[in-house]
Amino acid sequence: MAGRTVVVRLNQQQLELIDRTIQRGEAADRVSLIRKALREQAGKQRGADAR
Amino acid sequence: MDRNVLFEMTLMPGTGKALEMKAGQILRIEQIEGLQCVDFNCFNLHDYKEFMHCGRTRTVHGFHPTKGDFLWSAPPRERALMYILEDTVGRNDVLFPRCSAYVYESAYGFDAHTNCHDIQAEAQREYGLTPDDVHDSFNLFMYTEISRDGRATITRQDTKPGDHVDLLALVDVLAVPNVCGADVMRTSNFALKPIKLTLFEATEADLAAAPKTPILRSQRTPKDFRNPTIKADRKLIRDSSYVAEFVNTPIRLEDFAIELSDEEAAMLDRLRLPVYGKDDGAALRDILFTWWEQKFLGAAESGAPAIGDRKA
Repeated sequence: MAGRTVVVRLNQQQLELIDRTIQRGEAADRVSLIRKALREQAGKQRGADAR
Repeated sequence: MDRNVLFEMTLMPGTGKALEMKAGQILRIEQIEGLQCVDFNCFNLHDYKEFMHCGRTRTVHGFHPTKGDFLWSAPPRERALMYILEDTVGRNDVLFPRCSAYVYESAYGFDAHTNCHDIQAEAQREYGLTPDDVHDSFNLFMYTEISRDGRATITRQDTKPGDHVDLLALVDVLAVPNVCGADVMRTSNFALKPIKLTLFEATEADLAAAPKTPILRSQRTPKDFRNPTIKADRKLIRDSSYVAEFVNTPIRLEDFAIELSDEEAAMLDRLRLPVYGKDDGAALRDILFTWWEQKFLGAAESGAPAIGDRKA
């Protein structure tokens, strides 16, 4: 599977939630948080598939 | 437990009663013969525009609120008006509205029939309220379910003499219980029976049993309203000076370009939901907020956040 560029569109309210989540130490910045969410969800999916 | 009894009465079939309750008083609604549904409403005693809201209560506690649950008022007040301190049966309903004259005329052909809307209206008329002020009721001892095709259904109940629900007033309320008027439905097993009402002073132990609910900025009262005046006439006429002030508008959008590695692109494709088709951005946004729900919300599975869910 080839890597690719994905454009995520968020509004100011969604960004407020994201920024508050970053402030609590979940990630360094917005893009990192989205990347973290993707990786953690994929990890959960792998765990579910293995069961 | 020794509670001081303030008031007792028997609510006869076809009737209801509006009762003033101060914060810290308990209303016991009790079966005398058993097998009787009771509809219940309450209003803020000092501002009838705030009242128990079945929709909000249903969202927070599900279709069958019971011991340990609250009766909530509607947004923007959205606060706990009463607390269910005891429930010896554990089967109540917030799916159905009150039964009405229209139901009995349209389905059964009655010119007049006992019905919860009109009983509620007549009981609360003692406090100057109109039939339009009746709202959806908390239906005690009413056995309801959701069928597989999504319809709400009623079945028979098996309550016994002495079964009761104790409602603790958390604020001053006008409480309005009525004997459900449905004698040609399963609601009260095809018969109307009297109900006992007892008003108690709560003990310290009773008061300590009710958990505290969050007090938040978003719980607004008329002092916060742009229009705090209750409309006193019936016709709706446009306010020519009206200027819309919707919250957080305009909604502004911002794009974030994310370079996904081969591995991450494969993750996205494994997780993406069919509803998003080829829209990678929407699929990834869904993954982001699904992650957030699962990490920070107690109600992640239902998709319907409830009061007190916030984990931090």
